[in-house]
Amino acid sequence: MRFKILTGVVASSLLFTQCTKNYEKINTDPNQQSPSTFDAEYFLASSQNEYKGAISGYESGFIFESGWAQVLAAPSTGYLSNMDKYLESSNTNDYASRAWNDCYRSAGYAYAIIQKHKDDATKTNLVSCATIMKVMSMQYITDLYGDVPYSEALQGFDGTSLGTIFPKYDGQQAIYTAMLGELDAALTALNTSNAGPKADILYGGDVAKWKKFGYSLMLRMAMRLTKVDAATAKTYAEKAFTGGVFASNADNAFVKSENASGHGSENPRVMTLDGDIEFIRWGKNFINYLKQTNDPRLPIISEVVDVNAAVDIKVAPTTSDVNPSHQYGAPNGKTTSTTSPYYIGNDPDYPGAVGSGTTVAEILGKYSRPRTALYYDLNGPVFFLSYAEVSFLLAEAKFRGFSVGATTAEAYYQQGIAAALGTYSTFNASTGTISAGTISSFASAQALTAGKELELINTQYWLAAGSFLNFSEAWSNWRRSGFPVLTAVTYPAQFSTVIPRRHIYPVTEASNNAEAYSQGVTGLSDGDKWSSRIWWDKP
Amino acid sequence: MLSAILAMAQTRELSGTVKDAANNPVVGATVKVVGKPNVTSTDANGNFSFSVPAGALKLEISSVGFATQTVSVAENSSSVDVSLAASSTNLNEVVVTALGITKEQKKLGYSVTSVNGDQLSKARENNIANSLAGQVAGLSVRGTNSGPGGTSKLLLRGLPSMNGAGSPLYVINGIPIDNSQRGAAGEWGGSDNGDGISNINPDDVESMTVLKGQAASALYGSRATNGVIMITTKSGKKGRKDFAVDYNLNYMAEKAMNLTDFQYEYGQGTLGGKPTNQTDAINTAYSAWGAKLDGSSVLGYDGNSYTYSAVKDNIQKFYQTGNSLTNTISLSKSSETGTFRIGLSYLNNTGIVRNSGLKRYSVSLNADQNITDKLSVFTFINFINQDVSGIAYLSDAPMNVNNVRFLAPNINQASLAPGYDPATGEEMVVGGIYSQNPWFVVNKLQNTTGRNRLVSTVGLKYKFTDWLYAQTKVSYDLIHDNAFKAEPWGTAYRNTTQNGVFASGYLQNLDKSEQHELNVEGIIGAQKKLNDLDLSALAGVNLRKNEYSMNHLSGGPFIQRDYYSYNNLYNKFGSIGFWESQVRSAFYSVDATYNNMFTLGTTGRWDSYSTLPINNAKVFVPSVTAGFIFTELMKPGILQFGKLRASWANTSNELTQAYRTQIYYSLQSNNYNGIPLGTYDQALPNGLLKPFVANEIELGTELRFFDGRLNVDLAWFTKKTKNEIMGATLSRATGYGSGYVATGSTKNTGIELLLSGTIVKSGNFFWKSSLNMTKVKNTILHTTEDNSNINIGQARETLGNLVTSYVVGMAGPQILGYDFRKDASGNTIVDASGVPLASTKLVSLGSVLPTFYGGFNNEFGLTKSISFSFLIDYNFGNKLISMTSRSAMSAGLLKETLEGRENGFVVNGVTEDGNKNTQNVSAQTYWSTVASRITSQHVKDGDFIKLRQVALTYSLPASLLKSTRVLKGAQLSLTARNLFILYKKADNIDPEESFGSTIAYYGIEGRNLPPTRALGVNLKVTF
Repeated sequence: MRFKILTGVVASSLLFTQCTKNYEKINTDPNQQSPSTFDAEYFLASSQNEYKGAISGYESGFIFESGWAQVLAAPSTGYLSNMDKYLESSNTNDYASRAWNDCYRSAGYAYAIIQKHKDDATKTNLVSCATIMKVMSMQYITDLYGDVPYSEALQGFDGTSLGTIFPKYDGQQAIYTAMLGELDAALTALNTSNAGPKADILYGGDVAKWKKFGYSLMLRMAMRLTKVDAATAKTYAEKAFTGGVFASNADNAFVKSENASGHGSENPRVMTLDGDIEFIRWGKNFINYLKQTNDPRLPIISEVVDVNAAVDIKVAPTTSDVNPSHQYGAPNGKTTSTTSPYYIGNDPDYPGAVGSGTTVAEILGKYSRPRTALYYDLNGPVFFLSYAEVSFLLAEAKFRGFSVGATTAEAYYQQGIAAALGTYSTFNASTGTISAGTISSFASAQALTAGKELELINTQYWLAAGSFLNFSEAWSNWRRSGFPVLTAVTYPAQFSTVIPRRHIYPVTEASNNAEAYSQGVTGLSDGDKWSSRIWWDKP
Repeated sequence: MLSAILAMAQTRELSGTVKDAANNPVVGATVKVVGKPNVTSTDANGNFSFSVPAGALKLEISSVGFATQTVSVAENSSSVDVSLAASSTNLNEVVVTALGITKEQKKLGYSVTSVNGDQLSKARENNIANSLAGQVAGLSVRGTNSGPGGTSKLLLRGLPSMNGAGSPLYVINGIPIDNSQRGAAGEWGGSDNGDGISNINPDDVESMTVLKGQAASALYGSRATNGVIMITTKSGKKGRKDFAVDYNLNYMAEKAMNLTDFQYEYGQGTLGGKPTNQTDAINTAYSAWGAKLDGSSVLGYDGNSYTYSAVKDNIQKFYQTGNSLTNTISLSKSSETGTFRIGLSYLNNTGIVRNSGLKRYSVSLNADQNITDKLSVFTFINFINQDVSGIAYLSDAPMNVNNVRFLAPNINQASLAPGYDPATGEEMVVGGIYSQNPWFVVNKLQNTTGRNRLVSTVGLKYKFTDWLYAQTKVSYDLIHDNAFKAEPWGTAYRNTTQNGVFASGYLQNLDKSEQHELNVEGIIGAQKKLNDLDLSALAGVNLRKNEYSMNHLSGGPFIQRDYYSYNNLYNKFGSIGFWESQVRSAFYSVDATYNNMFTLGTTGRWDSYSTLPINNAKVFVPSVTAGFIFTELMKPGILQFGKLRASWANTSNELTQAYRTQIYYSLQSNNYNGIPLGTYDQALPNGLLKPFVANEIELGTELRFFDGRLNVDLAWFTKKTKNEIMGATLSRATGYGSGYVATGSTKNTGIELLLSGTIVKSGNFFWKSSLNMTKVKNTILHTTEDNSNINIGQARETLGNLVTSYVVGMAGPQILGYDFRKDASGNTIVDASGVPLASTKLVSLGSVLPTFYGGFNNEFGLTKSISFSFLIDYNFGNKLISMTSRSAMSAGLLKETLEGRENGFVVNGVTEDGNKNTQNVSAQTYWSTVASRITSQHVKDGDFIKLRQVALTYSLPASLLKSTRVLKGAQLSLTARNLFILYKKADNIDPEESFGSTIAYYGIEGRNLPPTRALGVNLKVTF
């Protein structure tokens, strides 16, 4: 009897072990959804939010391109030297990889939408908007790094298991060809009579605006290719124009930040941090250009802080000097250490200190900084693409003889300047508004002097993108056009002795995707360096 | 009634003392009347006293570490003194093996090592696992320099597995306990919130048994791959007629060691100049590139003037003396039919960082009772309440106090106090906004954890016959945790404005979580002797359920100053977490011993895991062991006992995380202007995962010479894992940040040797010694599908430039870094500014795991009542990543950075185009650049020999005890832990330092707490 019980117990024990009943249920996360039941619409807002993160704050623009494009200067020795002097700080490798990580995440969200709904006719508008987001993110990546994974990117999961986890690097030319093709198809498919995306922090689901935005993006991408592939540039610039680009500042692509939920704008946060605020100044060339032309935006965007009145300069001062003739931009490549050969006081154009000149605030006291009353708003906008930039791109396209309407290059140029001057009210309606009369009289007085067209157009582009705090775009367009003419700073132990022309690949690529990475490096003019030129960046 | 009276009439009292060969009392020895149920054990002074039957009888006395002895007691004798012969492996000693099954050590086919609790509790570590350092062959123990309540990292036999776990399974009185780490520091900072084993009160521990090999632990199935540590807690001593009260007081004081040997010739500043304005003074606080220290006046971070001269005692002064006071009282009692012990303990600790500390209350009950002759019940309950405050931030983090190690040579840490402006509460910034003023941190830090834990088991055992029994038990480990972490008001980089009003700080965590593990186990066991064959067998089933749930709140900034509540926040966020898993198992074990000479054993276990894909959820893991006592065939000579043993086992491991087999989409916790944001996990799931398998072969021998004066235990093992489930970091271009692959394979081969014995024995004097050594070689056989490197750990300052990685064909966590770039003739290549360039590829710089390690334990009996012991442990063959080197080189603190201070220097090398370098470079440019470029310079040798533990013990002699009447034993010890580093190669640091407690950060140090040295006293009294 006992043995029967024993045998029974043993047998049932074995059955018990082999039982996997309810395992499927137990191993299903109750707080998440399977892709088949989850409403992927909500990835569009995530994609936009990631992209917004990538182009603002410390993610790349501020820490690198703001100083490379000499829009800003930072006379310091800390991590701001990445942008100001091309010096490695202890976390440079981290900073250099952030845009890559953010934008692939942004593109990943968009890709998830596309994968789920690409064959769903009722979701065509959503898929098209996702495609626009994916292309925009990928353009940001390839413009920063050069050859990158594209055709095999974002396919890490194959539905069950690991998919392509070692994506190959594609040549930038192939990437641009693919991106323009995808963008074109997406825009053709956009249907303004159908509903737009429902989770859209950019246009609130307005399909007509998405269409203009998509074609404006196409124009920007096309114009990147002017040096390297003029024919493709022309084809797509014209296609974009025909499709319909931004027609006013009301079309501007920007995301309004929302600090209360942790989605604040990182640009003002960066500029007002205790450790940075003391050093951040507008660049010398930048202010000089605005001064020379008596640009009415100068007192809107720039201020000199009265160091005596505002002891605590961390937050917006109650009084600041916006008088245009008192504005001075700071040179790049300097420090505030009086014993250093790079001491900013040794600069021939040093405007002099205020007070006793012993603190940094006093040494830099006469230099201009971004005006806090305009920019310091954690709920402020982050610009993706503006009507002003589109106008300048059209001006150049027209100048190059592309078929972009009857408007003259000069008229586009003036339209761009007017658009730029009208954009600051988006940052702050009260301090950023320039009267319509001032705008039109200034803009119409700006001639597109023969022989200097490209310089004038692209310098205005630089002023616009730079003052919208879209530093990467200011730098990219400078790389493409060569304007304004900027000179590299010299300093001991720089990571690049020329103005950096790309980001080094994330250092983790060499180990996480070794073979593909080695292949990618061969596509660069001078290896994986800050000074290497990417495909479209021809001297 | 009559029989009871008869029984009384027929008993008498027998007392006595059990001593060892050196006349030292043997504590806890079992004294048994042969052939009768009467049994007792000796107290702290080796005394025993119990009722025995009338008439002449024989006593059998046994104890761990001694040969069992039988003595005859005459009819009229009322007292007997026994002397036991020492041996480390008693011929008939029983040891606790997997599932709590006791087996005779001599029959085992694998190696187990027991450590007496006494050795762990005198000179104690607050985390008992750290006390195992140097005690067990094959076991490598590392603490974390993270303050009170920190984590201990144990590795058995090399790198037991590549995946994150690595840590052995802890089993307390048969209850597998949760040992998960609550947050650990990584390259991005963080703090170490401790592990599960650190909750256990050392005073409750009777012994710890380490099951090293897979064969020993195979019955645990899934979690056995990393080895098992079985903890047996103290219980009521059988046979004492009245109750016993034990009281133990332990006090340990610890002090930070300053191992830095920095330069004190040049002070704060840059490019050879002192700071000339306050901002520079703030920004160069951690930069020693200033002028020669000349005693002149220099501007400080606060605008005041200070003397520009060396300050050398910042570490000693900034960290205070830490104290740990533990009071434990226990009450125990036993009868013929049962025993119980109840223990209460309170640990009050203050850490070396001001305002940090740990408080732990612990109550435990251990009881068993026979209900009938056949039915018995048993229970163990341990309730723990623990609070840790001021938990230090480590590694890169803001709020890290340990930056104090890198202050420029002229800055006195005291000048940074109190670290905030009393009027506003704002931090007084030193060195930049992301490295908090250390005094601001100690005065304002908000980082606490609290835990309530109940470890419990209740079981029933039923004996059908004298050879067949059934047992069932339910074990439950329930943990309630809370964590509170906030960046305080005034933290510089958190200062902001809300609606035009200054606001600051951030609530990072206000978390409550619950985690539990439930095990229900049923066993049927049999033991039978058939002629020359001893058979024992058991079969059983186990159901394990794990569940975790968590509520998380956060937000910021704070509205009002120094008011740290969820109610005081401008913006508030929340999220929840949950997972559950199950493992269903059945197992068997059969042992057969022939003629007391040859033992063959086998075990097997079937597991099915809910965390794995259904089709891959099941696995069977067997083991076979054999032991052969060859001395049974020989005439006794100098070799009294000799055994050969061999074992083979196959064990498995599980995927501990639930929900990793399919992809999920979800929503982020915060909306964006009212619009929900979707998200998905950046860690890639894998639907093809399977349970991984480890294979081990172990061969060994145990030899005893000269009546136990010399004992040898030698083991050779080779172990291989297959299909290991590992997290691999992926290129972000995949759309994911990491993924799980099940292709890992690693191999460990090694030798363990334990030599023990009594070197000198003369009168009251003796010297007992044991030496253990482990030689182990690890090789990574397979990583991802295409065998690319899997990077696991790094420090932020050298992100990507200096990593630990699994590299196929090399020993596990391999350091990869950049070396100097050389041309074909071996010349150093420099860049245009004359600074050396780094090699174009990462090069291998050695493994972080030691290849040769062990301990040397010595005990001396000086007089009858005074004994002295010390433990030396050693570790060779590993490398470590020193971020101290990186930071100190870059900051100009290292002595070598004195080169070229005045006039710079020309590096002996060639330029990229092959010409001789002529470029002069300043010291600051050179050292700060090569510090970040040539990362191989920060890889240091991990070798060390340490005087780990010393104890001097005085026991009150029996003669004095008798006169006190109430006192049964008293013992006073003076103790020390980590007294001296006898040998090391790494400059400026202790090669054991670390900030992270997972395998990923093994062998990486930097910005952790300094190592400490502890002195203490232990008083033990028995009533």
